[in-house]
Amino acid sequence: MKVLAVYSIKGGVGKTSSAVNLAHIAANAGYKTLVWDLDPQGASSYYFRIKPKIKGGSKDLIAGKRELDDLIKGTDFDNLDLLPADFSFRNLDLVLDASKKPTRQLKKLIKPLAGDYDFVFLDCPPNISLLSEAVFEAADMLLSPIIPTTLSLRTLDQLSVFIHEHDLHDLTVLPFFSMVDRRKKMHRDIMLSLVEKYPTILNTAIPYASDIERMGLERMPLGGFTKKSASLTAYHQLWQEVLARLSIESH
Amino acid sequence: MPLSFEFPSHLTAEAFIVQLGNKTNLQLLSRHDCHRTYYDSFDWRLYSAGISCELTQSKTPSLLALIDLADGCNLVNTELAGVPVFAKDFPDDTWQQHLAPILEMRALLPLCKLNFKSIQLNILNDDQKIVVRLVIEDYEQLTDRLLVYPVKGYDKASEHLIETLISPPFELIPLKQSLLPTALQLNGRKAYDYSSKLNIDLAPELRADIACKYLYSHLLNTIKANEKGVIADLDSEFLHDFRVAVRRTRSGLSQLKGVLPNNISARFSDFFSWLGQITGPTRDLDVHLLNFEHYKKSLPESIREDLNPLHDFLLGTQKKTHQELAKKLRSDKYINTLADWELYLKEPSNKQLTEANAQLNIKELADHRIWKMFNRVLKEGQDITRYSPPEDLHELRKTCKKLRYLLEFFQSLYPEEQIKYLIKNLKNLQEVLGDFQDYSVQESNLRVFSEEMITLNTPANTFMAMGVLIQELDTRKYHARRHFTARFSEFASTQTQQAFATLFATNKPHRKHL
Repeated sequence: MKVLAVYSIKGGVGKTSSAVNLAHIAANAGYKTLVWDLDPQGASSYYFRIKPKIKGGSKDLIAGKRELDDLIKGTDFDNLDLLPADFSFRNLDLVLDASKKPTRQLKKLIKPLAGDYDFVFLDCPPNISLLSEAVFEAADMLLSPIIPTTLSLRTLDQLSVFIHEHDLHDLTVLPFFSMVDRRKKMHRDIMLSLVEKYPTILNTAIPYASDIERMGLERMPLGGFTKKSASLTAYHQLWQEVLARLSIESH
Repeated sequence: MPLSFEFPSHLTAEAFIVQLGNKTNLQLLSRHDCHRTYYDSFDWRLYSAGISCELTQSKTPSLLALIDLADGCNLVNTELAGVPVFAKDFPDDTWQQHLAPILEMRALLPLCKLNFKSIQLNILNDDQKIVVRLVIEDYEQLTDRLLVYPVKGYDKASEHLIETLISPPFELIPLKQSLLPTALQLNGRKAYDYSSKLNIDLAPELRADIACKYLYSHLLNTIKANEKGVIADLDSEFLHDFRVAVRRTRSGLSQLKGVLPNNISARFSDFFSWLGQITGPTRDLDVHLLNFEHYKKSLPESIREDLNPLHDFLLGTQKKTHQELAKKLRSDKYINTLADWELYLKEPSNKQLTEANAQLNIKELADHRIWKMFNRVLKEGQDITRYSPPEDLHELRKTCKKLRYLLEFFQSLYPEEQIKYLIKNLKNLQEVLGDFQDYSVQESNLRVFSEEMITLNTPANTFMAMGVLIQELDTRKYHARRHFTARFSEFASTQTQQAFATLFATNKPHRKHL
């Protein structure tokens, strides 16, 4: 089981759509896949038409009163399950802080699922907090979407500093460009300069496209309502790159 | 894992869909034609282990599943384009773990088929999210089935649905078993319609010639049942069972003398002995191939892979030898003689019996032959000393086999437990004699193979590995030889001797021809 966190300090960069689409592509290829919606806004739960609510909320969850497995919901797609968000997740930091070894809690909760899933995608809320630290501990890989703007340069720098300061050297950080508008000169220029500075940035860029916005209307991953689109192709290529970095042969 | 239900006879699939659509938010997803093929080994190994292997084919990818016959539960299921022939050919460990211990060397073969239309439905909630999946299997010759697939985390929805399904107006009936027994019945098959075991029920007072014909007919059925599998080389056991039935027939003809007319006995003895000869080389090679992994494991790890060219050689030679055998089994000689034998066995028995032993009842004949053969085993065994040549053990092995066949032919004439006990004792003795013989044969075959392999550019390391293997077989042969004395004394114990005497020596017929 590999844990992939889709994470960014900044909001509105395409985290949820990346988590949902990559998970759907993985599941479609036959991998048992789980999406854990950690964002109290519950956007990925919404995309799967699943109510953003879990019994007992975050308190029971972190206290280990409920097995994660009991809270998981099957989506409408084969091999793809979802652990819904809950509004109480907005206080997840406080709940974690009150527990022992707060940054290890997430890893501990996920561990029993190892036999059930090949991939777990963590759809994380945008900030840098105790929860992010717990996510970093639990994840094998951090997929970080970045919009090619001057601000994203800053967020990527902040993330590198944070990872360095917290001795998280085992964690693979894979940034990739998201919501790219190739018509904008600024986007193209920033992409060029960022790739030079961060050679680990993945080659695939996810375009800014209307079909990704349509996911909110259709309430399903791209692959659920379209078979052919530039965005879907981009996510497929991104997934192949991720698999290659994980050294897993694609199905 | 789906829950299965059977439709009551008054309910059609269409009416069900309409009625359920009125009660729930039902989505009709697709309809397509499906074929389900059930698989098992020729000798029903999966069925006797309580498992059914089912391949369901349709427009969507084919699904292969192992089902527990008792409760209809899925043990494993995988999307597979076709069914691998042998357990070892399955790509998945879980499948191999389930199948290998049951099937061993036997091939998975199609058993019977069912055709149906599959209708896929979803039940949605207010968010248009799927909360239960349903599949209707609409059969031509059976009442329809409904499979309910609960969606993880939506247990209440499926519980509520099931409550609705079993109540009026639907009144579906929960099912807890596979459809295999019904499928077999529809295809005119019967479970265990083939078994390599001898299950012949004989009445003690049956006239010997009639009983023997009955026995030979049973063996002939086994020969015919395996014929196709031998010719197609589906797996090694078709030939094995074929050969056992041939040997048993030969053994019967030579041991139950004076029952069938002499000219008949002589003609068919020759024929079955020919069949034994022409099938021998292929069987020998099969045995080597079946043992190959053991051969490898018996070598030091560093040289195991050196033995692989021997495997290629065995496979190639087996293929050629088998082709020659298949040709002979398609020959006029084989087809006509076997047909004559069948014709003879089906002829009504003559009232005027000329053969000396034909008029005996079968119990008298069996008692006498078994008692005589047992004493021969005792005599030959007691004569064997540390210095006896291997031929003496070989002779004793053959005599034991004759006794074994007699006991098996006539087991229904004696109390079950006692005869089973004697067969078990004899089996223990046969085991050590068989090992001794097998190791000798394998050893000498390997020598012959190595001579043939010299001309095939075989690497020198392979000959070295074969040398080590011959050494290993020789050591095992030596151990088998050493164990003989102890095993024989166990067999020749006073207890066994008394048991044989009680069962077989009491009722001696006074006929000089016996």
